[in-house]
Amino acid sequence: MLTRADLAKYPFLSEAAEYVRELGLSIDELSAPEFGLVLDRAERRLEEALSKGRVSGDVSNESAEILSFPVSNLILSLVGEERARRRFALAESKRAYGLLRQEDPEKLEYIASTTFAWKVKRLDVKLGRRFYDFALSLPDFLRNSVHLREPRWNLPNRVLDHGFVYVTRDEAARLMEEEVRTKILERSGRSPDEVPKLLGSVVERAKGLVIKWLGVPTKYELPKVPLPEAMPPCVRHIIDSLDEGKNVQHMGRFTLASFLLNIGTGEEDVVKLFKPATDFSERMTRYQVEHIGGKRGGRTKYTCPMCTTLKTHGVCFKPDEICETIRNPLSYYKAKSRTLTNEGPKREPN
Amino acid sequence: MNPTEQLIRRKFQEYYLTFRKEFYLPPHPEEREYGFLLFKEKFMVRHRAFRDPSVLLGAIRDLVPAHIYFSTAYYQEPTAAMEEKGWKGADLVFDIDADHLDTPCKPSHDRWKCKGCGTVGNGGAPKICPKCKNDRMEEQTWLCEQCLRQAKEETTKLLEILYSDLGVEPSDLRVFFSGHRGYHVHVYSTQLQVMGEEERREIASYVLGQALDPQLHELDEVNVGGVRVIEGPQLGQPGWRGRMVAGIYDVLGEEGDRLGLSPAQVRTITTQDRDEFFKRPFWSSVKGFGLSTWKTLSVKAVDRRSAKIDTVVTTDVHRLIRLPGTLNGHTGLLTTRVPRERLDEFDPFRDSLAFHGEMRVRVKDSPRFQLAEREFGPYLNEEVELPSYAAMLLLCKRRAEPVG
Ligand code: SF4
Ligand SMILES: [Zn+2]
Ligand SMILES: [Zn+2]
Repeated sequence: MLTRADLAKYPFLSEAAEYVRELGLSIDELSAPEFGLVLDRAERRLEEALSKGRVSGDVSNESAEILSFPVSNLILSLVGEERARRRFALAESKRAYGLLRQEDPEKLEYIASTTFAWKVKRLDVKLGRRFYDFALSLPDFLRNSVHLREPRWNLPNRVLDHGFVYVTRDEAARLMEEEVRTKILERSGRSPDEVPKLLGSVVERAKGLVIKWLGVPTKYELPKVPLPEAMPPCVRHIIDSLDEGKNVQHMGRFTLASFLLNIGTGEEDVVKLFKPATDFSERMTRYQVEHIGGKRGGRTKYTCPMCTTLKTHGVCFKPDEICETIRNPLSYYKAKSRTLTNEGPKREPN
Repeated sequence: MNPTEQLIRRKFQEYYLTFRKEFYLPPHPEEREYGFLLFKEKFMVRHRAFRDPSVLLGAIRDLVPAHIYFSTAYYQEPTAAMEEKGWKGADLVFDIDADHLDTPCKPSHDRWKCKGCGTVGNGGAPKICPKCKNDRMEEQTWLCEQCLRQAKEETTKLLEILYSDLGVEPSDLRVFFSGHRGYHVHVYSTQLQVMGEEERREIASYVLGQALDPQLHELDEVNVGGVRVIEGPQLGQPGWRGRMVAGIYDVLGEEGDRLGLSPAQVRTITTQDRDEFFKRPFWSSVKGFGLSTWKTLSVKAVDRRSAKIDTVVTTDVHRLIRLPGTLNGHTGLLTTRVPRERLDEFDPFRDSLAFHGEMRVRVKDSPRFQLAEREFGPYLNEEVELPSYAAMLLLCKRRAEPVG
């Protein structure tokens, strides 16, 4: 079913891992000078992900492509930086999506049911103007769709038939992108049993790259707010998106800044949060944050936009039960802090 | 404990001491956490585990709790602290409760009072106090036939969605009367039990038809050979599509006139056989109905066909839920298993009674009510001799006090 070219396109496949294993090369050997090409490609994968948020689809050297992927993961796990892992996982999965969406249904089905162990059925159904190639088991669908925010991914907007969700070919590829992302995150998060000596300098270089593209690590953390767990879903989502190097629109940035400033986060900490943004300019960000905080311009401190505004701008993200009782993210924070600090439900079970 | 609580507790104790039946136990009872809410100071004993139903009964006899719960979750170590329990999975549960239903009778039997400023009102309590924005409310509710009938109807709709959309096997599903104002549905499925909160939230919103966008179900205006026609889902299509179309027919029949249809139009629609009417291309067949009207209708139809569950309960993967077969401290009624094929006939006011004999109580104020096919009340400041089940209901509802 799969060719070596496929493994080069999709180095996360179980078959690719198998292929590497069969070659019987240890990671130490892979890092040796003879495999310079592999190591080069592994580093380039990382740098592309960190700098552009994209990994190129160049598959001219198939074996370097297949072998470099586990090496990139290993380097990342040695660098030990969550934000770099997330960025890499996102970039690699985007690349996978770009390639997967061009595959025929047979291959998609094969990859889905083997590497991802999806329960998936081939379908040949046209409803309205849309053509559905697959029906995917509900848990497999949900595990991935919950990360996607467009309304078409919400379950009420799907066709659900006896435990299976209808998906088009492109949607199947998009859901597989999520699966790839989680898989890579998991892999690069495992700490290796032994640290290959030869990789020492590569890891150091990778750390340098992370700092170059994402800023100094120790300063980048969740903002120092009294209760980070009490942040509303929308604000958390903005932070996550920035973190993954996704583009966040103006309204999202304004919400994040005004929210944090209003609950007492320092301007310095707020500025740092924007650092992973692909178009980050320290000077502009500082200027804007100070403006929102009331240091510049009219000296009025801006408050956080209302939920209704955020909903129309698509900033509102997966509102939960608390959201139903509030009208501003700041009230969410207040309400949630209260339940977090005095613990336990307000209502007893029925 | 005040005298009323003491009396209730004593009756509960008698009940559990003479209890001879087997408790209904969920799958893997030994991997569950149990919780007991005591009469005394409303103290919650949590993190208990039992391998054996007889040991569980022993604990219930010792503690005599007002409410008995078990976790919907399975744990490696159910007795450990929450973070160390080792979550393995949780049943998918649904709670349908009059608290969340919008029944017209509510203002006549429910009252609320804001704990912040003392504002009072009739009907279900608002989420936040209209006056002081406080969210802590004191509620006084009543067990009402109409509310419970509505809850049963919601349960019926839920079961249909669970079977035909989620593909739940009837043998994996249990229905219970909560012993108070609603029904619980438990789904035991190895496939679904590993789902996290976000996945469950999606399922809850599916059942509620929340934010369903008819256009994403392909209700739209399209150009067919230069003519603009409206196209949409068809009857018999899976999931919300077919259900939405079926719902539209009901909406048209019942409130067509209010939607601006002429009586003649309403008649043409409702006199036709439903399946006939919805044969293509009905979406363009009603004069004066544009896309936006159909959208409004679709949303109404979805609301009507959705099952009004409590999202919080379905979403929570560490939830404690009432143990079937035990007494509900709010009413003195039993949490009762309802065979799913008998949901229709089930009468909560007849099939969940626990207490026998007679009791004398002083009733402060009680509306008329029915239990075991007998009428009681209304009462106002009077001493009455009642069957124990009725007296216990009034005591548990704090509408009556012990005499002497
Ligand atoms: S409802 Fe408000 S607080 Fe909640 S996610 Fe949406 S915008 Fe944020
Ligand atoms: Zn108030
Ligand atoms: Zn009622």
